[in-house]
Amino acid sequence: MIDHSILMADDDADDRFLVQAAFEDNNIPYNVLFFEDGEQLLTHLKNKMNEVAPSFILLDLNMPKRDGRDVLKVLKADSRLRSIPIIIFSTSKAPDDVDSSYRLGANSYVVKPTSYEHLKDVILKISDFWLNTALTPS
Amino acid sequence: MKLSSLRLLDRTLSELQLTWAIRFLFGISIALIVALSYSYHTINRELVYYAGRVDHTQEVQITIQKIASSVFITDYHLKNYLLLGGEDSKNEARQQLKILPVFTDLLDSLVDDNLAQNKRAQTLRGELRAFSRTVDSLVTHALPIDQASQLLSLRVDTKQLNRINQTLHDMTSVEILLMENRIKSRDNYEQQVYRFNWVIMVVALLFLSSSFILLDRELRRNKMYRLELENKIQNLNRSNEELEQFAYVASHDLQEPLRKIRSFSDRIVSQHAPSLPQEVRYMLEKIDVSAKRMQLLIDNLLSFSRIVRTNYSPKLTNLNTILLEVKNNLSETIKEKEVKIKSQDLPTVAAYPMQMVQLFQNLISNSIKYSKDGQFPEIAINYRLAHGTDIPTVNPSHRELQFHLIEFIDNGIGFSPEYADKIFVIFQRLHGRDQYEGTGIGLAICRRVVSNHNGYLIAEGKEGKGAKFCLYLPLQPIFN
Repeated sequence: MIDHSILMADDDADDRFLVQAAFEDNNIPYNVLFFEDGEQLLTHLKNKMNEVAPSFILLDLNMPKRDGRDVLKVLKADSRLRSIPIIIFSTSKAPDDVDSSYRLGANSYVVKPTSYEHLKDVILKISDFWLNTALTPS
Repeated sequence: MKLSSLRLLDRTLSELQLTWAIRFLFGISIALIVALSYSYHTINRELVYYAGRVDHTQEVQITIQKIASSVFITDYHLKNYLLLGGEDSKNEARQQLKILPVFTDLLDSLVDDNLAQNKRAQTLRGELRAFSRTVDSLVTHALPIDQASQLLSLRVDTKQLNRINQTLHDMTSVEILLMENRIKSRDNYEQQVYRFNWVIMVVALLFLSSSFILLDRELRRNKMYRLELENKIQNLNRSNEELEQFAYVASHDLQEPLRKIRSFSDRIVSQHAPSLPQEVRYMLEKIDVSAKRMQLLIDNLLSFSRIVRTNYSPKLTNLNTILLEVKNNLSETIKEKEVKIKSQDLPTVAAYPMQMVQLFQNLISNSIKYSKDGQFPEIAINYRLAHGTDIPTVNPSHRELQFHLIEFIDNGIGFSPEYADKIFVIFQRLHGRDQYEGTGIGLAICRRVVSNHNGYLIAEGKEGKGAKFCLYLPLQPIFN
């Protein structure tokens, strides 16, 4: 079984479907877990605290219950979760959103592509960078 | 009656006319008050004069009375002395004779201004002197005198007395007549002064109160305008806020479903293309093209709305530098299409530099885009100063201002003059999308940028003869 997993929190079912399809179409052999809001993601992370940390998290900004900014704050305030790379994955191009996300400690910020081909490409690049190129804490 | 006619005035007069009416009323009332005050002053002076004359006449009369009584007292003592003897009567008569010249001198000086009276006074003086002599000689001779000479002396004395009496009577009756006339004049002027007082007061009150009413109306109207203006500003702020909200909605919520449409149709094509019939693939392609265009429109709309609100503050901006930056940005197109740009020396203005780049870039790329086939695009950028009245659509408050005028003249396809205004409307296009691509946002952004700087952008064109864009920027920057 695969050790590492990738987490994604997004309230939009279509986006979750498209991202999953992009992972599959790119043949990335990672287990991708999806959450519908920030609350679910945080609960999951707290339950699996003692297991192997996820390789990275794709985090949407605008979600019901706990939104992306909130989750980002909680994660970066937690000494054990702080090291997980977090990629903000949002529709918003607003400079305010980008700035505040980096200030809160996001590791990168990617705007959701407008076409599927582009999405597939972006997912491949993100995965390639964070799984194969960058060195991450074990 | 007065109020209703004023109300009519108020309804029918324009603001300017009202202002002039108030000035006129004020001017007239001040002039009237001055004129009335002057004639009041004149009349008052006459009144004082006649009052003085009346007093003078009375003084003359009193002096005449004094002379008369002095003469008769002398006569009384003289006769007493002649009949009864006695040193007392003699001394009294002499005493009175000494006083007489004092009164005659006084009378002389009093009637100095009246020739006829003066003559009479001289006559009187002579008569009195004769009388004095007679009396003096009578009292000086030692008593007793014989009866015959006594009688003779008395007859002379009586004759002199009658003459004096007559003169005094003449003088008195003249003075009485004078006094009557003078009192009449005084009373007349007194009444006039009284009347004038009233007239001045009424006229001043009338004019001042009508000016006040007009002024008050004007003030109230001003207040109403101010409230209206404040209300409009509030509405404007509200609609600006709504516009910003709309921009957010457009950026986020409208793009979301669009992205889905594109992503899913894209995925159908990429995953299932081989198994799809030709027609379905064609239709999916159409969906994608339309969605892409909508994306572009939303993006453009967003960039347009973003110009409305700017967080930057204006800076002194050299437009030559801006032009250089724009040429740099467009360098590939300029090289490819062999565009010639000839520019005069441009001024330095207070502006938002980023917006100026956008403005110049849109105008120049517009000229390049609409160039004639088989002709190299040429753009001339001219600069000179212009006056507010040179601008056809100038705002009345900008009429007296000086403007920088920068003209962008090209040799492109131009446009028909009737579209000179339409080309600035957002998403308005003069050509089919097959001929020239684009959404029709470029010139709308230009005009928005120019109005952000309180300037004017006016297009002039002729079909097939190139276009001219006149950019007016105020010499003294106005930013609100």
